[in-house]
Amino acid sequence: MAAPQRARPWLLLTHRQALGLMLLPYLLGLVGLIIIPALLALGLAFTQYDGLSLPRWTGWRNFTLLFADLRFWAALKNSLFFAGVAVPLRGLGALALALLLNPPRQGAGFYRAAIYLPTVIPDVAYALIWLWVFNPVYGPLNLLLINLGLPAPVWLVDPDLAKPALSLMSLFQIGEGFVIVLAGLQTIPREVLESAALDGSNRWQVVWHVILPLLTPWLALLTVRDLIMSLQNTFTPALIMTGGGPYYATLFLNHLAYEEAFDGFRFGQGAAILLLIVVISAALLGGLWVLIQRWGDQSDD
Amino acid sequence: MTKNQAPSGLVHQYAPRRPKGRLAFHVFAGSVALVFLLPFVWMIYVSLQTPGVTLPRGFEGFSLPNAWHNYARIFEMLPLGRYLFNSFLVTGLAVPLTLITASWAGFALTQLSARWRRRLILVSVGALLAPLTALWLTHLVLFTWLGLINTYGALLAPALMGSNPLFVLLFYWAFRRIPVEIFESARLDGAGVWLTWRLIALPLVRPALLAIGVLTFLSYWSDFIHPLLYLKSQALYTLPLGLRQLQQLDQTQWPLLMAGAVVMTLPPVLLFLIVQHYFLQARWFSAIEH
Amino acid sequence: MKSSRPLLIKLIVIQILLGGCQAAPTTQQPPPETVAPATPTSNVSFMIFGDPAELQAYQNLVKAYDAKFPGEKIELIHIPDQADYRQRLAADFAAGTPADVVLINYRRFSVLAEKGALEPLGPYLEKSPLIHAADFYPEAILAFQWGRRGLMCIPQNISSLVVYYNKDLFQAAGLAYPSADWTWDDFLATAQALTLDQDGDGHTDQHGLGVEPTLQRVAPFIWQNGGDVVRIERSVWTRELALDDPLALEAIRWFVALQLTHHVVPNAVDEEAENSESRFLNGRVAMYLNSRRGVPTYRTITAFDWDVAPLPRKRWRRSGVLHADGYCLPAVSAHKAAAWQFIEFANSVEGQTLVARSGRTVPSLKVVAESPAFLDPAAKPLNSRVFLDTLPHLRMLPRVTNWPDIEEIANDEIERAFYGQADVVEAIHAAVVRTEEYFP
Repeated sequence: MAAPQRARPWLLLTHRQALGLMLLPYLLGLVGLIIIPALLALGLAFTQYDGLSLPRWTGWRNFTLLFADLRFWAALKNSLFFAGVAVPLRGLGALALALLLNPPRQGAGFYRAAIYLPTVIPDVAYALIWLWVFNPVYGPLNLLLINLGLPAPVWLVDPDLAKPALSLMSLFQIGEGFVIVLAGLQTIPREVLESAALDGSNRWQVVWHVILPLLTPWLALLTVRDLIMSLQNTFTPALIMTGGGPYYATLFLNHLAYEEAFDGFRFGQGAAILLLIVVISAALLGGLWVLIQRWGDQSDD
Repeated sequence: MTKNQAPSGLVHQYAPRRPKGRLAFHVFAGSVALVFLLPFVWMIYVSLQTPGVTLPRGFEGFSLPNAWHNYARIFEMLPLGRYLFNSFLVTGLAVPLTLITASWAGFALTQLSARWRRRLILVSVGALLAPLTALWLTHLVLFTWLGLINTYGALLAPALMGSNPLFVLLFYWAFRRIPVEIFESARLDGAGVWLTWRLIALPLVRPALLAIGVLTFLSYWSDFIHPLLYLKSQALYTLPLGLRQLQQLDQTQWPLLMAGAVVMTLPPVLLFLIVQHYFLQARWFSAIEH
Repeated sequence: MKSSRPLLIKLIVIQILLGGCQAAPTTQQPPPETVAPATPTSNVSFMIFGDPAELQAYQNLVKAYDAKFPGEKIELIHIPDQADYRQRLAADFAAGTPADVVLINYRRFSVLAEKGALEPLGPYLEKSPLIHAADFYPEAILAFQWGRRGLMCIPQNISSLVVYYNKDLFQAAGLAYPSADWTWDDFLATAQALTLDQDGDGHTDQHGLGVEPTLQRVAPFIWQNGGDVVRIERSVWTRELALDDPLALEAIRWFVALQLTHHVVPNAVDEEAENSESRFLNGRVAMYLNSRRGVPTYRTITAFDWDVAPLPRKRWRRSGVLHADGYCLPAVSAHKAAAWQFIEFANSVEGQTLVARSGRTVPSLKVVAESPAFLDPAAKPLNSRVFLDTLPHLRMLPRVTNWPDIEEIANDEIERAFYGQADVVEAIHAAVVRTEEYFP
């Protein structure tokens, strides 16, 4: 379709060229800041690199060493636990709260801000707050439980409880997902949302059959992001609160990668763990994609 | 909350009209909100304790803390005012830049042929997988070579590309909701991609714009790693680094750390309060129908 | 109890998190034949770790240096947390931009020395008019020698493990202060007498002892029992830990029993609720095992009187474990001459005296260690002589290249056994097996 000529210079570009120009900053950044560095860095996974001399090619050795280390298996289990438990719960929480608080009503604004608030608290402060909350003797959580006559678990000391404790912590920081789902809900025609808000059994049907499918891309994006972040990012709380303990119960893959690289001067090993994280993320995402395709939705991709 | 006019004539406030339903909502939502507020409330409580004393154990001594001078103190101890300004500067530049470049890319994605679109989306999702820790070393070398170390250029470089493939994809999906006819009629009217993007597409995705603006703000505001790696002069430091310095005080000085954390938490929250107000100002989608 | 100090304002204002005078490319620069004279505006960056109290000492040092050599500015880079410090160090070395002078512990400098990342300071020391190798305690010098490369770093301190004790609690229990000669049995009995349930609620309110369950803390007890940390055959360290040998195991069992059987040390839950050092600072733990590092912090205690005692002995052996940090010069530094000038000053009588006054170090210079700067009769701990008396008995931990990893794994296992989360034999055996691959 030829556009009529105008005096403005950039319309002399064809439609395709203009689009290309629009994409250019993103593409440049994508290739230059993400793809190439990632390939380079992940290539390190097959070398031995201590940062002090040049990398030395060692093939699969990093991986064989890794698979023989019990810390790796502990970290793998922990990361998968977190991805499998915390991520769905967070997604559900964000979805439920967004559905609840999307309609404009009095006070909803403050409620929304309250939900968003924990996400905004700096990591360090957030971890320290929860460290105190989970204090087995002096923390408010256990004091409350004792007052209610319930058993007071030793949260961060018992290896079986430490991960659930960290998952609980992360459930409060769903602000980002919350915002994304809210934005997604904005794109749904109001009539649809209104019919969902009416009483009656109709409501859940509308939510399940109409709203959720429309929200699918947003939910998918949110889950993808959360999954990736949880595999790559969870270690500040663990670092501050438990140091990866007790006995590796809260050691996560990215924490291990960081330690190998910087404490051990083994950047190659660290890169190997990162590569594994990428592979695992991709596998999980692939599985997720299959699930979504199966579930079927109206907005195709 | 302003009440928006409904073109279709339906009552805008579609909450259940029974007062019992409304009460139930407030009770439920209110309690949820309260629980979410607790960490922040505790943060403020600790920030108002007198530093140097062992932190209160248990619920004993719930006397009203009043060490307001902690807030003044942290500004004296560190050039926190400077850090605050720097954080605003960096974030204030990063957000518009990101919104522009990410929405460009997202919009362009909708206009591409199906084949290219699919490829680019796949690559973008793949790029999401790249772990940050793997990238920093190459970035450090690259920015050193470009002479961007110790400048905000290094911090803002990602903003020039939309900051994160996630934002591009979010914009893509937001733009996708706009009926194709609108773009076609715009094209017939002679508008090029730039005009279409600016005058037609953008206004129609205001919720996404606001949402991504908020996410970007938070992302740059709380970023600790990149300033740590790239900034060497203290005059350029941003707030997260200042907080890190406060963190290194020993345990009895935590009230000061919490005071710093409160200072750091407030701007994003205020921003969110303002923005979410606009989220639901008007129903943008139905506005399209006219 | 800590009192807030206006000094903190100064400290933190001056400190900088990151440093490096220049962003050098990742390839190493060849050492210049003739070092360009340090220009008046050149900055020598000096990276250290430590809490604010330790930082103060280095601040004074830098100030004195700046006063003595006007125009030579030292850029002090302070990384408070030791773990952060190590990671910053690795990152800086990898990026080719380490600070010009770095403080490194002798247990951790091996990988840097091995790869030639450090400039050997032996030749500089030989040529120095100000300081000489003979002025230092030989144990300190030995800790930083690396095979044929000779002396790599200049040792700053030569501390060891001692027992800090709360005199008021001893008096309250009617106990005599620890003698210089006390045995393991005396030690245990004392700790037991000081572990009290004061309000009768079945929960121990005061513990007799606080100690970190790490290899570094257990090592002296292993040596005292006649065991070894790493098996030595014909004066050569072999390729595995010797912790499961009978004598070493016996010592470890005794150590673990302090918590597990006798409960004189807080258990895992109590430790999580409030750590031992905090308890000691607040008068809830009577004795605490630590090196000299704790002194600046303990000097701020006002609620009770305290002092130090040597580690208890087993029969005639009094082994102690060496703690030493050294000033090192990265090989890629572009300011070697200026950096050496600072290192020289820092380890001269003047420099070491300044740092010693903070209480942080046991000086490696004999003259300073015997002087009032360290043995000040008015500064706590009054019994500082203890640190000097144990010097002849100090032993080093092995300095193999991956020692930090080995130590960390051993620590994890020892901690597990200490808190009863695993059987001692099983845990120690796991430690030996898991660390095998890290030995060169």
